[in-house]
Amino acid sequence: MAKMRWFWVWVLASLFFRLVLIYFPKNLNLGSRPEVATPLTSLRRLAEGYWLKQSSISPYSGSMYHGSPLLLSVLGPLTVTRFEGQPNHVACSLLFVIADFITAILIRATGEKLQLAYSQSLRSLNLAKLLETSETLSAGDIAGLIYLWNPLTIVTCVGFSTSPIENLMVVLSLYGACSRLAPLAAFGWVIASHLSLYPAILIVPIILLLGYGPDTPPRKLFQQRNSGSNEKDPVLPVNLFSWRPVVHFILWASFWSAYVLVLCSIYLKQYGGLSEMFKRTHGFILTVEDLSPNIGVLWYFFAEVFDFFRDFFLIVFHVNILFMLFPLAIRLNHRPCFLAFVYIALSSMLKSYPSVGDSALYLALLGWFVYELADMQFSFFLFCGYVGVILLSPVMHNLWIWRGTGNANFYYATAMAYACLQIILVVESVSAMLHHDRMLRKQSTT
Amino acid sequence: MIQEHRSWAAFTLMPKRLNVLLMSTASDFNADGKLLQDVDIAATTQGELVGNENFVTKEAEPKSRAQRESENKTDGSFFNLRLTMAESVVEDSQSPKPKPRPIVRIGIFLITHSSFVSVVCCAAGILALFLLPLLAKNTYISENALMPGSANPMFSRHETVEANRLVKEIMDLKLKPAEAGIEIPRLLAQRMEESDAEVYHHKFHGKISQFRPLHFFSDIPYSGIMLENGSASHGINTVGIIRAPRGDGKEAIVFVTPYNSTKIELSEALSLGLAYSVFSLLSRVTWLAKDIVWLAADSRYGEYASVAAWLRDYHSPVFSGSDKFGADMSFGTNNLHEHKANPTTGAGKPDVFRRAGTMAAALVFKVVDKREEIEKDTLSIYAEASNGQMPNLDLINIVHFLAVHAQGLRVKVEKVHSLLNSAWLQIMGQTLESLGKVARSLNPQWKFGISVPEYVEGTATLASSLYYQALGVPTGSHGAFRDYQVDAITMEISPKGFLNNEVRRSEFLLRGGRLIEGVVRSVNNLLEKFHQSFFLYLLTAPSKFVSVGVYMIALLLLLVPLPIAAAALYSGANRLGSISKEENQVSSPASIDKPGVAFKSWRWLHAAKVVFIVHLWSAIVSLLPALINQLPEMTPMTSMLVWASASIFILLILYSMLGSPFSYPTVTQSQNSEWAILKAVMIAVASIGLGLMSIINYATAQIGAILMVPMCLIVHPLKLSCRAGSLRAFTLIACNLVLAVFGFPPVGLLMVKGWSEGFSGVNVGDFWSWAESLWAWNSATYLYLVLVHLPCWVLCIHILLHPC
Repeated sequence: MAKMRWFWVWVLASLFFRLVLIYFPKNLNLGSRPEVATPLTSLRRLAEGYWLKQSSISPYSGSMYHGSPLLLSVLGPLTVTRFEGQPNHVACSLLFVIADFITAILIRATGEKLQLAYSQSLRSLNLAKLLETSETLSAGDIAGLIYLWNPLTIVTCVGFSTSPIENLMVVLSLYGACSRLAPLAAFGWVIASHLSLYPAILIVPIILLLGYGPDTPPRKLFQQRNSGSNEKDPVLPVNLFSWRPVVHFILWASFWSAYVLVLCSIYLKQYGGLSEMFKRTHGFILTVEDLSPNIGVLWYFFAEVFDFFRDFFLIVFHVNILFMLFPLAIRLNHRPCFLAFVYIALSSMLKSYPSVGDSALYLALLGWFVYELADMQFSFFLFCGYVGVILLSPVMHNLWIWRGTGNANFYYATAMAYACLQIILVVESVSAMLHHDRMLRKQSTT
Repeated sequence: MIQEHRSWAAFTLMPKRLNVLLMSTASDFNADGKLLQDVDIAATTQGELVGNENFVTKEAEPKSRAQRESENKTDGSFFNLRLTMAESVVEDSQSPKPKPRPIVRIGIFLITHSSFVSVVCCAAGILALFLLPLLAKNTYISENALMPGSANPMFSRHETVEANRLVKEIMDLKLKPAEAGIEIPRLLAQRMEESDAEVYHHKFHGKISQFRPLHFFSDIPYSGIMLENGSASHGINTVGIIRAPRGDGKEAIVFVTPYNSTKIELSEALSLGLAYSVFSLLSRVTWLAKDIVWLAADSRYGEYASVAAWLRDYHSPVFSGSDKFGADMSFGTNNLHEHKANPTTGAGKPDVFRRAGTMAAALVFKVVDKREEIEKDTLSIYAEASNGQMPNLDLINIVHFLAVHAQGLRVKVEKVHSLLNSAWLQIMGQTLESLGKVARSLNPQWKFGISVPEYVEGTATLASSLYYQALGVPTGSHGAFRDYQVDAITMEISPKGFLNNEVRRSEFLLRGGRLIEGVVRSVNNLLEKFHQSFFLYLLTAPSKFVSVGVYMIALLLLLVPLPIAAAALYSGANRLGSISKEENQVSSPASIDKPGVAFKSWRWLHAAKVVFIVHLWSAIVSLLPALINQLPEMTPMTSMLVWASASIFILLILYSMLGSPFSYPTVTQSQNSEWAILKAVMIAVASIGLGLMSIINYATAQIGAILMVPMCLIVHPLKLSCRAGSLRAFTLIACNLVLAVFGFPPVGLLMVKGWSEGFSGVNVGDFWSWAESLWAWNSATYLYLVLVHLPCWVLCIHILLHPC
């Protein structure tokens, strides 16, 4: 119980820290930082869209707002609520703090589910001796605290960006899939894809999760053990892909998406309807119209590329993500949650308007696998790299935009370094995971 | 067939990476041509695969392989089959002993020889710093549009006469000091109006230094800072604008002439006269394409404050007419009555704040009467703005070019005079000179020789350039312009003889006026902002510079050992740790629950925690002066003592709250390597800090690195060195102690001060005054000292006293 209380103390401390930071928005001025708020997630743009809507103009007119109409109807009224003596947007900030809190709790619950399932499957493989190290701290607690105390999450939460909501939806869908709640998983997935498109690729890990259940050691091991020990009853029937929850998920997903689309079309009836919405939200993501600098790698490239190559390279860049889906799904099909982590990391690296909020999410999900990845290489190097790049990025931006002594290459260099770090993180974590599987194989065969 | 399989292996996510993995695992087997089952078994060292185990694996293998293949087929998972087959084929065809790639080998070589590499790199870095005067290039005008000196000057005797008349009038006003503060602006405004310029007065308050630690990187130049104290103390800037006949009012060139309105000197009056004569000339010329703004800055609160106040108002329009002071410079029409009551404006016309578009360049010029015999009229150039920013080199180039080639002035830049006579610099110069001679005798094409006086002068200039950039405090009112990305320099002109001589004065005014006219004419030709030439450079002479690409080498050589040493320490400690872990597991399984033992690759987390605590502490320490400043009646001495004691107190509290390293139960095996990991993390963080600082302000990072890098690299627990007891250990201890004492920022500063000014006048309060001036100027050097250097020093002390 002492452990439990310790966890909650830290959670409360992190929430309190956020509340303190919310009272200094002018000094921090995070809402205008390109690392924090992208054209898609900026709350300032949302407030503008809401204002346009209130003046009976299409919220998408001009090129200010590119988010979802649903977000506009939920967050919009909050952007205009003012409290006496409080900073602007305080209501929204409080909502983001709550969203962060729920996300952390869901991450923790998912992590506990994962750990439980994993220890069961290890026991069934007679590998319980591996578990004794992992009983000191629950992986769920670690992941939740990483999410709450990660400076990137805090900055995103305080910095007037809607990323906390998107992250919440992604985690919600993973949680639903882990606990085999098809409606919840479908809801999270539909909303997350609606908000930022890229979580759509999470359908692969969600279906695997619903079909096979949470992460296990490679299924071959169970088969070997079953056939090797010649028992009458199989140890665990994990190998079977159960279609029922998957079908449920698909039905629910179509229901939710129809529901969302109907709501959107009602909201945008006079302003061009759904086609306008798709053009201005998902179309905006896919065609990379806004070339203002961010921490991604696409803006610089598309600012330089000739117009007649533009379509070609757009296809190349977007197919890049899709290209990796299937090999990864095949190799990691026994670990759907880890697969989801890899997908999120990849998409946050290659998406058109990335922000540090995306990194905050996948770094927290890394906490789920803290025992599997205990032997990950270069952890220290990655840590230093992340710290260095995150400090370097505002300095380079300052040098370029405000001092005028630098140029765009300075800032883009940090973006490239950041992308490289993420690649190294993904590669190293995947190879550590495969290494871990190999270790399990060795342990179970001897 | 094999080709096809390979292509499948290549189709997976990270083919290279996978291949390396496969290679490494394959090497663990005896490659006897047998098709081994799976990579998954192979993740052990060769030593562990002893006969029995190996035998079992091989026996079990054909069966399981066949079985799995059949399963794959029944599953219909074609990809899986292909993948596993590809794996086995790749594994089979590898040679048993793969060599790591060359780059990996180089890395390993560097890490294993880290101490040697560190010594070589540090020495090379310091040597490179002293070679910089040798590597300086001659300046050249990079922007073609400037065309300096291509037109004949129009400035003639006629203008000097007018200038002289204005000087006389101003000096007459001086006789009535009570009215001078009001009368001089009025006189200037009248003269400006006579030359058809738009005129207004700008009132401002004296700046009160405020510490805003969060504003170093803020995007918005803070606007609308109004001080509550009444209008009792304000200065009055007089501003005149000539609208260019060929321009569209979107660009401007700014002159600034600072003068003290309460106590005006002849030299200040002369600079006003000079500015007026150029101004009145420019109001008549036809070629002007950029508006001319003349700011006669009232410098009774310091030169910088008046210019900064004007620039702030220029760049931040005030829309609300509520504030009385703000309304004065807004576009309101309802405040006319105020101006009637206002004695400064005299004529009763509204003082509307006028603007003239973006500023292409700004020239601050001052006449300084040195009262000493020099052989030529001299022009001194000051260019350093806040945080080591410099104006574009082209601006300095045209001023230098016109001053030397057109007007025959002598151009000087600041230098450290005490270095001019230093013996070791002479020796260094002689060595370099003889080296250059040898090189030239070998090949006449090589020209890196340098004469001794040239080298010594270059070094002295470079040292002063470095010092002023490192301080981060602007050397004049031109610094205010750089905050708005306007290139500006201060030209300080000092005449040959005494200025009381009328003829001599006219000649001097003629030269100065022609110089300024020439510069204006060049800048007037600009089509874009200054962008062609360098922004990041150090001057070694008025016409010689070291560009960023060259001077960065010196710093990089100093910084390179840091990551290498960190990697070496870290990998060494890890090796030690893993050995001790195995011992632990054999002896006592109870030790497993200690964090740091279970996670082999995450052992740095504890050290990172210590480093984080110390950095948190330093962040608090950096904010303390803002609080201490609120306390009443503090001398620098007491402030310093309060600061120091509060810092120590907070450090102790943080240690006790978040777990001091000393309170940990002694873990005999892991403690040995713990200090090494701590040192690795500290070095890594220090290199990040220095790297960041090198981008913000190169000079600070360079000077900081000279102090910090040896301190970081050499630090070693005293207990361990004492235990060793050899001569080498004692030299290590001595080096450690000396560096630890000098590395402490206050001690370092006081030693430098004592060395240059004598030790009698040194007291502890000096550091406070110095730090106060740094944060009053928002210098990033302050942040560097407190957020990078101080925690690094504390951690060094921590490691020195480590109980191992």
